[in-house]
Amino acid sequence: MADAKKLAEQLKKLNELRGPVPQELRDRVAAQNKAQRAILDALKEGPKTAPELAAAAGLPHDRAIWYVSALRKYGKIADVPGKGDYPKYELKGGEAK
Amino acid sequence: MRELEKIEVDTLVVGSGIAGLQSALDLADQGFSVAIVEKAPSIGGKMISLSKVFPTLDCASCITTPRMASVSHHPRITTLTYSTVDAIRRDGKTFTASVTRKPRYIDEKECISCKRCEEVCPVFVPDEYEVGLGAKKTISIPFTNAIPQYPVMHPEHCIRCGACARACPKDCIEFLQEPAPVEIKAKAVILATGYETTPMTAKKQYGLGKLPNVISPMAAERLLAPHGPYGRVLRPSDGMTPGSIAYVQCAGSRDKSIGIPYCSRVCCMYAIKQAILLSGSLPIADITIYYMDIRAFGKGYEQFYNNARAMGINFVKAKVARITEDEKHNPILRIERQEGTSGPDEVKHELVVLSQGLIPGHDASAFGLGTENNDFGFVKLSDEMVSSAVTAGAGVFAAGVVKGPRDIPDSVVDAGSAAMEAASYMRKL
Repeated sequence: MADAKKLAEQLKKLNELRGPVPQELRDRVAAQNKAQRAILDALKEGPKTAPELAAAAGLPHDRAIWYVSALRKYGKIADVPGKGDYPKYELKGGEAK
Repeated sequence: MRELEKIEVDTLVVGSGIAGLQSALDLADQGFSVAIVEKAPSIGGKMISLSKVFPTLDCASCITTPRMASVSHHPRITTLTYSTVDAIRRDGKTFTASVTRKPRYIDEKECISCKRCEEVCPVFVPDEYEVGLGAKKTISIPFTNAIPQYPVMHPEHCIRCGACARACPKDCIEFLQEPAPVEIKAKAVILATGYETTPMTAKKQYGLGKLPNVISPMAAERLLAPHGPYGRVLRPSDGMTPGSIAYVQCAGSRDKSIGIPYCSRVCCMYAIKQAILLSGSLPIADITIYYMDIRAFGKGYEQFYNNARAMGINFVKAKVARITEDEKHNPILRIERQEGTSGPDEVKHELVVLSQGLIPGHDASAFGLGTENNDFGFVKLSDEMVSSAVTAGAGVFAAGVVKGPRDIPDSVVDAGSAAMEAASYMRKL
């Protein structure tokens, strides 16, 4: 684990070198967090397809499937076996961190 | 900049795709020392991201990964990844290359590839390994079977929260890391810088990459890969399982309007391969290939093409003039049939793959080593009838697609011939 003081110094120096974190990036990360939370909350009600998640989270369809791929890769959600035009996704292990 | 690192070897190999890996191994196994420089964070080139290879349908990573492992463990091969060759200077009978190791922002000596940094990083970015279809974190290991297994941080997407540094059990995150210069001295150079596919923006009639369900063949490879972005074949606009898929052949080659008049030699076969794989994973889907003519010239290729026809893949001899989409992002193809009822027609599909051609990955003449390019930017051989690897620059050899489009078996064969030519050149020095 990094020494907290050393880390703070490194980050301070980084801010001096590169300037503050751009607002656009901060906004993007805030939007990402909101979208993830909305998707995970929607899945608490049960398995859903990508368009259903898009509707629940207020996201365009292509963004919803992108977040699904991200959450799937990092083990937050899993595929529901079955057929149909739109596959369904569920929370992994019934929980979302 | 960090301190200058000096490496002295017999041969410098630029590029670590299948051609670069094979020529490095062939030289090292003969007793020559080799340095291999790769601009990406992992060795393996384009081939490691492919799903399967034609015409055998062998798993591409099952062929590439053992070679990657052999190269990275070979006692006579030094591998520099995430590094660029900035210049190569000829000093009499030797070459001196200026290389820059780009910062990964981690201490590579300490990293144990535990992925804790990646797990805690809060920022998602499009994953270029998945051709943008999937996501990765701002600090992440490039892909599952990457060699080396080091994470790379992309500072332009970093919010400097410090979560990675706090999670790292080895304290090896280095936010202030700088590029490191390396000097490589070698007696011979093998250029294996490979290719890029024609960009999605090459042809305005095909949507300039703005139609979400018109994708590149590399994206289709990732959709078909077992550990791809969605884990199954879905279309990127809404996550639907496509019921009707089309391939547009010669979408980036044999087309003077985009300055690529040559045939890229692999598009017919990769389209057929992907069509066969798609019909395996989506048995009820309609798959159509719009083609000018099918060029199946290698060993077993014609049989592979006939198998695809027998499996029910539709081959339609037609030129696709334009691609638009309806309100549900279903691509609409405006085609001109060249057989049967010739004339224009409009056909709707749910997913379209543009069979893009191959263009040079790097302008090798920029190194100023006396090599020449052909009209299309590929490296010209000094006498194609006599050798498949000797360029106009003494001591400079070419392996793989750097010389012009060719498939994987051909690239492997002439990587071997580049290694032999380099070995015989070095023995005569």
